[in-house]
This record gives sequence, structure tokens and C-alpha cells, in this order.
Amino acid sequence: MSQYKIIFTGPVGAGKTTAISSISDVPPIKTDASASDMTKFRKNSTTVAMDYGMMNLPGGEKLHLYGTPGQERFDFMWDILITGGVGLILLLDNSRADPFQDMRFFLETFDKFIADTSVAIGVTQMDLSARPTVDDYHVQLQGMGLKLPVFAVDARVKSDVSLLIQALLYTLDPGLAEE
Amino acid sequence: MDKNISPLKVALHGMNGRIHKMMTMYLQGPCKSAAVVVNENNAECDIFDADAMNGQKLLAEFLEKASHRPIIVLSLNEQKLVNVLSVKKPIKTEEMLAALAKAKELFHANSFAVTETPVVSASPPPGNVAPWVSYYAAGEAKAAASEAKEDGKQEPAASEPASKKVVIVSDEQKKTAKNRAAMQLSEKSFSAFIGSTPGVDVNDLSQIHKANYNPKEYFQGYVDSAFKVSRAKGQIRQLNSGWSPLIIFPQSSEVWLDAEESQLRSFAGLAITSTLGSKMSVTPLAQEALTATRALEKFYSMDAFLWKVACWASKGRYPVGLDPTMPIYLKNWPNFTRLLVTPHALRISALLIQGPRTLPNVAETLNIKPQYVFVFISAAYALGLVGQARREADTLMQSPEIKSSKNQGLLSRILSVLRGKKE
Repeated sequence: MSQYKIIFTGPVGAGKTTAISSISDVPPIKTDASASDMTKFRKNSTTVAMDYGMMNLPGGEKLHLYGTPGQERFDFMWDILITGGVGLILLLDNSRADPFQDMRFFLETFDKFIADTSVAIGVTQMDLSARPTVDDYHVQLQGMGLKLPVFAVDARVKSDVSLLIQALLYTLDPGLAEE
Repeated sequence: MDKNISPLKVALHGMNGRIHKMMTMYLQGPCKSAAVVVNENNAECDIFDADAMNGQKLLAEFLEKASHRPIIVLSLNEQKLVNVLSVKKPIKTEEMLAALAKAKELFHANSFAVTETPVVSASPPPGNVAPWVSYYAAGEAKAAASEAKEDGKQEPAASEPASKKVVIVSDEQKKTAKNRAAMQLSEKSFSAFIGSTPGVDVNDLSQIHKANYNPKEYFQGYVDSAFKVSRAKGQIRQLNSGWSPLIIFPQSSEVWLDAEESQLRSFAGLAITSTLGSKMSVTPLAQEALTATRALEKFYSMDAFLWKVACWASKGRYPVGLDPTMPIYLKNWPNFTRLLVTPHALRISALLIQGPRTLPNVAETLNIKPQYVFVFISAAYALGLVGQARREADTLMQSPEIKSSKNQGLLSRILSVLRGKKE
């Protein structure tokens, strides 16, 4: 049986682990470790290998949900993770010093994968830091020649994560039957 | 777990949907089904999250009822309550299992209500911390204590005394209407929620020139105008309508309205120019009203408010400002997680982001009723997200066919799960 996956990526603390937990049908498998470098100022633990969750699909198929490690030094893992991926969910922490730089970094890092599939962007922590706004992200993306879904997301809220994934799927094919 | 040993039946209290689900999974996974979550009536034991927003209150109320069932309390702080088993966060599986075993013993001995029970070790030895539980504990404290987070850059370390992790729910988090997650409307709920217009079949494309409405005749037009004035002046303003006043806060992009949603829906669906037009005015907020205390749950984001009001005015029609024979385009994706998601809105967005199309073409391409296109376009137009292509080339060029994904079947199955349907 075929194996499919959606990749969640983004900087440390953006909510990848939480987002996967929100929609996974199985207890998420995590590989968190105590943060010992700069990440300790943002989280007490961070994902050093990957997060894993799963959604059961009709017909017995499974959709695997993988979260990339947030720290750039583990980027050797990323190529392995994205192989066979349906699309990319990029989560950005709005309270970080320069979320636009984060966005550019991840879009550039995954550019080939995005070109073959698609990407949807979720901006987290907007209740803590209201700026930049979602509109500001669109301005930045337009400067890069991109028109991508960008939603304010609370990674703990299933419907937020669900809508983000739905947008990703429709960018792949707007003709998908909804009802 | 030994299949011959029945799991302890527990009820969970003070946990939101996500935490409830995680706790269920935690008991099932790391705790090896030593306990199973059931409804309160069938429970043998009650588990409380004392650090939840109303956790202490729920616990106090429950204790007053003199329950004869054992109680387990999960908390960052040690709980010195009699007749309560305390498990300190971050929760360690072995401590949780010990508490569950003790609770089971107490339940079966039926001695719980009359004896003081020991408190399960509150000083956690190192190791064996359920990762999601420790993350949750830290995450909850972080979310709730947002005001303690300076400039949004630094979180308290795990080893800080629990007393420093005082739960402060910020005003922003109390704005429940503003921060409410999106409501995703289905086709079935469309008419009941959005309404319809008698006298015109908006889904009959031969009547398309009649299927429009003028936003200026509705509350939508007055709200839109008031928003523009308020933003231009950078001033808190009040829209007076002979009904509940709408207070506009342009700096924070919020509005405040003391009305139920059903009342707003009815009002927004009425053409009011001829009846209330003379009563409508936008005035600066009186000085004494600027500092008035307002119910936080009645704040809305300006965009979400205008979007919704436009949906209710539209009732499945398109705004008169748009020519249905000319292609339209979407400037960017709406922020759907904070807006009312009308039927097929995501598909329509994805299609229009690819390039301009006429309104009927969108309906035909996606094989959906025009009313779903019109209502979405009305809302997006109200927020300035829709433009009409004016170039001759746009009207001469045929709209491209959409390319079907090679994984269409798979993607549809994922969608059905996300939308809560099983094929």
C-alpha cells in the first residue's frame, strides 16, 4: 500500500509538534531533547530528529505527518523527510525577531519540493505579537512573486490546522470535490 | 497491560478538547491502557487539571459534592488537599501509573470517602517524563502567562519555581469572539445561516444580471464607510444606527458590538437605507466612553466582522460593483482561519489565485452553484481582496483548464477526513 506524507516545517517554537498533535489519529511520536543552546531561550525542549503523527484515511490508507527538526543544524534530515511528500506546511512564529527572514529561509530551502508540490503558511503566536500582520506576509510574498495561502494559526486548534492543510490541497488541485 | 485486568474508568475535568484527546492517548499509550476515559456518570475516578483556567474552581465545586470516587489532580504545584491524589507536572508515567493504581485500590476498597489518602510523590525523580506532557505543561504555562513574556522573546525556564508561572490570561485571550476559530459552512447549512433572496434565482445564470445587490443599502455599506473614516482619521469612532452602536478601534483593527449574532445576522440582511438611513451616523466616541470598561468577549476583528456582515447582506448575490461578464481576480488568499468559511470558499480562492475568471466561469469550472461563488466574492470584495480585470487581453483569453492532480483520489480522501466525513 502506498505511503503518503505531509511535511511540517518552520523555526524552533513555531508549533510544528503541536500542530501534528492536533490532527494526528495516533499518539504523536516525538523525539524532543533538552535544549542546550540558543533554543533554550525559546523552548525547554526541542525536536532533534523529527515528529511523527498519522491520519487514517478511508480504505485503510494512512497519511503520515512529519515535522522537521527546527534547528538548522539537523537539516541533513530534511531531504529524507520530504521524499514522497504530498506538500509542505510552513509554520512561522510571529514573535521571533525576523519572521520574514525565517519565511525566506524555509521557502528557499524547500524550493524544489515546493515547485513539485505546494506550500501553505501558518503564522503562530499572533496573540502574543500582532505584527507583522498576515497582510504584511502577503506583501513579502508578492515581492518574491508568490501568492500562497497565509493564515493566522493557533497550532493547538484542530480546525486551524485542518484549514491550512485543506488550503494546501486545493492549491494542488482546486477541482477536488468537496462535498 | 494484562488483558485480564480491567482498566480504571476515569472522567477528565478542566481539559479542553485538545488536552482531553492527548490525555486519552496518553492513558492509552504510555500508560498502557491502565485507565480508560469515560463520561462522568460511568467513572470510577475523576482526574482534574488544576492549572486549567477554571480547574481550581471545578475541583472545589467537585470536592463540595463529597464524591465517593477517588480524585487525581494534575498540577504544576503540589496539591495539599485531603482525599486527593496529586500528580505533579511534568507528569511522569510511573507516577501517573502509581496514582491510577492507588485510585483503583481505593475505589474497590470503597474506603476513599472517609480516610485521608497519601499524596503521591511530588518531587519528580529524573527521567521517564512523558514528552508531550512536559511540553504541554510548559506550553500551557507559556500560553497563559503571555503577559509575563517580555517582548515575546523569552519563556520562563522549566526549573523556575511554579509560583512564577502564575496563570495570567491576557485581555487578548479573553476576546473569545475575536479569536474564535473559523466556522466552516457546508452546503446544507448555507441557506439557514446565510439566507436567500425571494424573487430571483441566483443560480440561474440567465438571471445573472438580477442576482446582484448594492452593499450601500445594507448595514455592510455603513460599516465599510465607518471603517474607512475611522482608519483615515486614526480615531476611535462609533457607528450609530438606531440599533446597538458599533464602536471601531482602528489602531487594533477591532470593533465592539453588544449584540447577539442572530440579531446581527437579521439586521445585516435588511436593506436599511430607506428606513434607517437618516439615523445612520459616524461620530467620534465621547471622551467618557473612551475609558469605559467593555465586555471583552464582544470584541471582533474588523475584517472578520465586515466579512460576515457582507455574507449576510449578499445572501448568495454578488455586489453591484462587479461586472459578471468580466474576469475577476483574487489579490491574495483571505485569512480563512479567522473568517466565516462559506461553501467551496477555499476551492474558489485556489482557482482565482491561478488567474482571472468570470463569476459564471468559476461556478462552471468547479461545478458548484453560483450562489457559493457570489457570497464568497461579496465578502472578499468587501475586504478589498477582489479586483476586476480591465485589460482587453484578460477578456479575450480563454480561462485555462485546471490541471487535475495525479493524486486526486488521495487528496479527496484526505479532505474528507479533514472535513469530518468518511467515505
